[in-house]
Amino acid sequence: MLLLFFFGATLSSCIREDIAGNSPEDNFEALWKIIDEQYCFLDYKNQEYGLDWDEVHTRYARRITASMGSEALFEVLSEMLDELRDGHVNLSSSIGTSQYRAWFDSYPRNFSDSIQSNYLKKDYVNSSGLTWQILENNIGYVYCESFSDGIGDGNLDQMLYKMSVCDGLIVDVRNNGGGALTTAQKLAARFTNEKVLVGYICHKTGPGHSDFSDPQAVYIEPSDGIRWQKKAVVLTNRRSYSATNDFVNAMKQFPLVTVVGDKTGGGSGLPFSSELPNGWSVRFSASPMFDPEMNQIEFGIDPDVKADMAAEDFQKGADTIIETACRLLQNPAG
Amino acid sequence: MRKKILLFVLWACLFPALLISAQENVPEDSRSVVMRSTLIGAGFSNVFDTYLSPIEYEGFDVRLLHESIRDTRLMDGRVSFQSLTQANFSYTENPSKTGSMYTGLVSWNCAFHYRFRINDRLQALFGPMLDLNGGFIYNVRNSNNPAQGKAYGSVGASGMVVCKFRIARYPMTVRYQANLPLIGAMFSPEYGESYYEIFSLGNEGKHVSFTSLHNNPSLRQMLTLDFPIRKVVMRVGYVCDLQQAKVNRLKTHIYSHDFMIGFVKHFYLLK
Repeated sequence: MLLLFFFGATLSSCIREDIAGNSPEDNFEALWKIIDEQYCFLDYKNQEYGLDWDEVHTRYARRITASMGSEALFEVLSEMLDELRDGHVNLSSSIGTSQYRAWFDSYPRNFSDSIQSNYLKKDYVNSSGLTWQILENNIGYVYCESFSDGIGDGNLDQMLYKMSVCDGLIVDVRNNGGGALTTAQKLAARFTNEKVLVGYICHKTGPGHSDFSDPQAVYIEPSDGIRWQKKAVVLTNRRSYSATNDFVNAMKQFPLVTVVGDKTGGGSGLPFSSELPNGWSVRFSASPMFDPEMNQIEFGIDPDVKADMAAEDFQKGADTIIETACRLLQNPAG
Repeated sequence: MRKKILLFVLWACLFPALLISAQENVPEDSRSVVMRSTLIGAGFSNVFDTYLSPIEYEGFDVRLLHESIRDTRLMDGRVSFQSLTQANFSYTENPSKTGSMYTGLVSWNCAFHYRFRINDRLQALFGPMLDLNGGFIYNVRNSNNPAQGKAYGSVGASGMVVCKFRIARYPMTVRYQANLPLIGAMFSPEYGESYYEIFSLGNEGKHVSFTSLHNNPSLRQMLTLDFPIRKVVMRVGYVCDLQQAKVNRLKTHIYSHDFMIGFVKHFYLLK
C-alpha cells in the first residue's frame, strides 16, 4: 500500500509544460506566450508608444494558417516581434535571424572607419580588443569595438600608463554593439576613484506584465589598477548598444567624463533565450536596467554634447565628433 | 540475551543479500555485516527546465551507483543503515534536434531501515531518509540564461522489499526500493533572474525555497536482482529516477531510466 502511495504521489503530480503541438498555430501561440510572460518592457512600451500585446495577438493570429510554410511563418513571427521595437529581440532559425534595425538604420551612421584610420595612422596599438593612439594634439584616443571579449587588466594598465602624458582621453564606443556587462564595467572602473551608484536592475518574478523584483543597485567600484585622473570624453552613436549603453550610462555618472556624439541605441534589457516547439530560438529582453534616477534607458542615452558627422568634415577626411571631443578636452574651462 | 540472539537469527534469515558470504569462524555477536555494491548503467533521460526552455529535451543517460548497507545495534539490531550515492550525466536534444543540453546530477541518500519479517523469504524495510543533490543543466545555445544550478536536500521516507528465492540450485535475491523526499529546501534563481544578478551583483532574492510533496514530488526507485556466478555476486537492476520541482514559478524535471549492472560484496566488520 505504501509503495502504491509512492507511485501515486509522483505519477499524479508530473510537472510538465503545456505545449500541445508543432503546428504554425502552436508555434505562434508559444512565441506570443513567451513574450507575454517573460519580456520585461511590455508595460513601459505601452506607455511610450501604445504597445498592446493582446491586440498584437489578435492582429497577427489572423495571418496564421495551418497550411502555411516555414518561411511564411518566420516572416509573420518576425514582424510580430518587430512590434516590440527592441534590438535584443531576435528569432533564429535555419531561414535566418530576425532583427529590428530601425534603432540604428533610421539615424545617421556617425562613424567611418576610413576616416578613423586618419587619426589612428599606421603606428596604432591593438591590445586586448582596444585600439589606441596618441593623437598629434596630445589627446589619447582609444577605440573599443566590442565588449564581447574580455579586456585584460594588464592591457588596461599598459594603455593608461602610456596615455598618462596626454591632456585628455577619448574613449570611442561608436558601433560597439555590446557584449559582456562585466567587461564594460571593468573598463568604466578605470575612470572613478570612489564607489559610484550608476543605476539599477530588476527582473521578472512572475508571468504578469508588472511582476518585477525590487530594483537592485548597481555600483562601479574603482579599479585596483591604473585609473584615469584627467578629463575624458566618450564618443557615441546609435550603434552604441546593449552593454555599451550600460557603459555610457556608467561613464556619464563620473564628474570628469563627457559624452559626445549621437544618442545611443539603447538596449537596456538583459536578454534571455527561449525556444519554440519547432526548434526556433528566440532572444528577448528579460531584466530592465535603469539610470541612477530610475529612468528607463531602453531607447538610448542622450549625449552631453550632441555632435553629428558634418558633410564638409567628411569630405576633408575629418571626424566631426572626434574633433568636437578634442576641443572639449583642450579647453581648460570645458 | 536469548531474545537478542533470536532477533539476530531472524534478521539473518530475512536479509539474504547480506548473507551470501562465508560466515565461518566468526562469533555471531561480534560481527557486523556489510554489503557494498557498485553499478554502472545507461538509459534514457527526459530533461525540462523552464528557466532554460519550455521544451522537454530527450536523450541518453549514463549512471554510476554505489551503495552500502550495514546493520546497526539500534532496536535490537533490526535497523540497518544504507548509504546510496548516484551520479548521472545526460546529453539531450529538443524534438527538432536544433538545441541540446548537458545535465549532471550527484545525489546522496542515507537511510535507516527497520526490518519487518513477512515470511522466511520476504521482508520489508522502512525508515527515514536524508536526500542531498547537486548538479547542473547546461543549454548550449542560450545567452544570459545558459545554465541552471541544482542544489536541494530533504528528509523523507525510504521503503524496500527484499525477496529471496531459488531457480534450480541458484540462490537469487530481488529487491525493490523507493525513496520519497517529503520536506526540504531547494536553491533556485527567481523567475526571470539572471546569474549575473546573483553572482556579480550579489542580489539577495528568494533563492532558497521550502519544498514538500506539493512542489517537489520526486521519487527514486530501484529494482535489482542479485545472483551468484561462481564466487562473485552479480547485480543487475533498473533505476527510475524522477526528480521534479516547481519553485519560484519555474518548472523543472529530470526523468531518468537506467539499466544497471555491477557486483556485490559482502563482508563482516568485527565489533
